[in-house]
Order: sequence, then structure tokens, then C-alpha cells
Amino acid sequence: MKKTPLHAWHRNNGANMAEFGGYEMPLWYGSARDEHLSVLTKAGMFDTSHMAVVAVEGGDAFALLQRCFSRDLTRCVGALGKPLVPGLCVYGVFLNASGGVVDDAIVDQVDERRYLCVVNAGMGGVIARHLSEHAGKLSVEIRDLTDQVGKIDLQGPASARILKKVLLDPDTIFKGMRYFSFKGHFEDSPAATGTVRLKNGLPVLLSRTGYTGEFGFEIFFEPSRAPEVWEMLLDAGADEGITPCGLAARDSLRAGAVLPLSHQDIGPWPFLRNPWDFALPYNDDRTGFTKDFVGGEALLNARDADYTYPFIGNDLRKVPVTEETAVLDAGGNPLGTVLTCVSDMGIGKAGGKVYSIASADKPEGFTPRGLSCGFVKVAKALKTGETIELREGRRAITVAITYDIRPDRTARVPIQSML
Amino acid sequence: MKELNELILPDDVRFTEDHEWARREGETVRVGISDYAQDQLGDIVFVELPEAGSTFGKGDEFGTVESVKTVSELYMPVGGEVVTVNEELVDHPEYVNTDPYGKGWMIEVKPDDLSEMDALLDRDAYLRQLEG
Repeated sequence: MKKTPLHAWHRNNGANMAEFGGYEMPLWYGSARDEHLSVLTKAGMFDTSHMAVVAVEGGDAFALLQRCFSRDLTRCVGALGKPLVPGLCVYGVFLNASGGVVDDAIVDQVDERRYLCVVNAGMGGVIARHLSEHAGKLSVEIRDLTDQVGKIDLQGPASARILKKVLLDPDTIFKGMRYFSFKGHFEDSPAATGTVRLKNGLPVLLSRTGYTGEFGFEIFFEPSRAPEVWEMLLDAGADEGITPCGLAARDSLRAGAVLPLSHQDIGPWPFLRNPWDFALPYNDDRTGFTKDFVGGEALLNARDADYTYPFIGNDLRKVPVTEETAVLDAGGNPLGTVLTCVSDMGIGKAGGKVYSIASADKPEGFTPRGLSCGFVKVAKALKTGETIELREGRRAITVAITYDIRPDRTARVPIQSML
Repeated sequence: MKELNELILPDDVRFTEDHEWARREGETVRVGISDYAQDQLGDIVFVELPEAGSTFGKGDEFGTVESVKTVSELYMPVGGEVVTVNEELVDHPEYVNTDPYGKGWMIEVKPDDLSEMDALLDRDAYLRQLEG
């Protein structure tokens, strides 16, 4: 099993470790519940150095991504569909010819000839090969930077205040730093990096993205410096209550934010009829796509694709997700399978409404008990509010189809109001 | 995660291979899960227990314990009638983590056959099982 540069720290600090994506990673340190709540109310930090980066560079880098990535880079930014420009990034998927997901990714445009694809653990080689296979005669260099980039995610409402203490020039960096934008680079070249450095001089790529649904950053840098960056953030965040977080909290936070886990919620089946189809380059009337891309034709021709829906429970009880776990309608008829089932411990119901521990309008004295949530994949269309049963063995829970799970998330809050 | 030498394994309880503990208290037997089990499960967020008065055989499932990570079944260390359940766990499931052999107890059983206790693992045998 592979290790990240922070493996020793995790071990020395009592982490419960498990395999994920070929790496031995922390599931939690003390309490996954406290870690989850810390990201909603203060700040949490995650070792995400197991994730991979693939650099795509050259005169035809743009053309290759237009061919392979699900977003139309000429019209993927904002509600108005503006082009991707240097310093902005975008979420999408790489599909195979059948329209199934090879992996999801955030693509950063460094400049017109240089892009970074941030993909999942163990997927750097897979995506690099996938891109090479589709490159044909295009003039492009593809570099798999697996294990050559260190990454720490700082997430939660106190993130900017903490980061401010460790950045060399925070005012310049934070200025106009919108959601899904980034500055700097982890490779130390003056042109790329400028002044985007930590106080110790370390160049970083700082991205206003994450996998929790909450305000925060992903920080990329030279991997051998990971323990130093980790300790810097821990120190800087001590009076804000920063908490190291493991993969359990990451999983429950992302599920509550309706974000998919690649190879679990999206995978080798048509990427259609799911909460993430905003990542497809639909034209305005959704009759077709605005570009040709690998997998696109298969999606347009797909018939009888399954439907993927978020669900929310009545309390925090879950069902284990195994091959036997079934989704049943009110009459007990099988509808499909459960993809993810976790408990978001930061939410609860009061008066029939779902509140988060971070909701400004939560009732007085509200303490969240947690609600189960996740995703189901079913053979027929279901309506929001419709109840279904999730069953594994003798255990069954009743949940409702929904379009959103944890309310009042902070990911998109302007940075000025978080300082 | 606790190292084996950090685990609390009291001398006055017996263990099952499924990580429940059983402690004789006069005519009844108190049941919970071991320090090893709670450490592996992580935050316990919900404990589902039977009604007092239910009867189960040795090895029957009597409830479930739900952690942030997973849902696990609970099995009877000895057969008998459940005479009391720990109602405190409804509001404080975390007692199973913080005090697994004390405030985190789950049920009290009036055993059909007290000698079933003898077949359970003592501290050393349980530790050997954990050492694999």
C-alpha cells in the first residue's frame, strides 16, 4: 500500500487508518463526528496527497481537452456560459466511448497552452493513458504527476482567516478570488508562481475549491514539504479550532453536499439522468451537445439509462451498502441499488424542515442529531419527496428522494465576507 | 486507533469472538461491546436495543450498533430474557465509546443457563484472538 508524505503524522496522532485508492489513509483521528462538525462551524484540514494531477500542455492541449473532457471549455464558466480563462477551473468528467465515467476531474487553466487535471487517487496513470490514446496527431505533452504533488485541503468558514496567517501576501492573493478560481503554481518557476507563496517561501497553487460543500481551499505544493505545511496550518488555525479530518468526515460532508464519489456514485455506466449532468455540454434546449467529445454520441443515443437521485432519511440510521442492498418502492417492488449511504451528522429536522448546525435561521436550541443521506440508482423516474425503502438483510430504512441535502452550505460565499 | 496494549480489557468480564462482553452481576448478566469494538467502529451514533422482556438464544442477534462508519449487529453472549436495557444510550450513544464497560452497557439478561458464561473468552484468550 502506498503512503502519503503525511503518513507518519497520521499514525503518530492516533488515526484509524484504512486503504483508499491504493493508499493507507486516515479514516478519522479522534471522532469523525467532531471532524465533520468542525468543517461546518470552524475549519478542518485533510491530507489529500493521494489525489493525482495530470498536466496537459502544448499547442493542442485545449483541443485534446475539448475532445476528452465533458465540459465545453469555450462556454463552461458561470450561468452565462463564458469561456474558461487562465486562473479559473471547472468540474467535469472523462468518459469512455460508451459514455461511462473513467474518472471525474477539476481542470485548471494555467494559460492557453497549459492545463492541470486534478483526478482521484490512483487515477493519474489511467487518465494520462486515456488522454494519450485520444491525442492522435495533436501536439500535446501529457505528464502524470502522481505522487509528485502534495495537497492539503483547508475547508470551513474559518479557512481564509487561517490561510491569511500563513500566506506571504494574502491581500493580493485573496483579492477577487472567486469560487472555482486558483492562483499560483506548485512548480517553482518565477513566471508561474509570482508571489503566491507561503511565508516560508514555498510556492503553492491555491484553489478555491474542495470536496465538502463548504467554503475553503485546496493547496498544492512540492510533496516533501507536506509535513511542514500541515504543521503551519495546525499552528495558524489553533485559535480558530482547526481540526485534522479523515476520509470518513470527507465522505459524509461531500454526500451532504450532493457531490459524487467517482467509481461509486458515477462509474462505468452512462453519465446521464444524475444530479451532475450540468457537467455535460448541453445546448440551450438540451437537444444535443455544443461540441463533439468522447462518449458524447453514446450519451445522446442512450436509451433506458438508470436515474441517480439523492435521498435523505428521517433520522441518522443507515443501511450498509453491499451487493444485496436494495431500493424498494412502497409496494416492496425492487427499483435499483444504493450507491452511497452515510449520515450527515451536522443536520437534523425541526418542524419538518432540515436545518444545518450552521444555518442562520435554525430554531433556538437546535442540536442536529444527524440524518442519513446518499444516492440511489433506480430504473424509473422518481419524484422529489417520494419515499422509498432501503433494505439490507433484515434492516430497512425509509428515506425520501430529494434534490438537495445539507442546507446553507458556504462553498460559494464571497471571500470578502469570510475574512 | 488504539494499540493492543492500550486497550482496556477488564478482568471481571468475559468476551465473545464477536467482541461483546458479559459481566455476571448476581443473578443477571450485563452485556456491552468491548473497548476494541468501539475503537474499531469509531463514533457510535445510534444503538438499537430490544424491548425488556424479549428472550433470545445464545448467539442470537439482539440489536444493532451504528457508528459513523457502519452498522453492526449485536449478538447474545448467553441465552435468556432481557430484563433491562440501558435507556441512557438513546440520548447518549457516545457512552459506548467513552465508557464501554460502564455507562456504555447495553442490556441486562436473566440467563437460562449461567454455565454458558464459562464458554466465553477470558481476558487472555480474547487478547490472543485480537493478536491473531
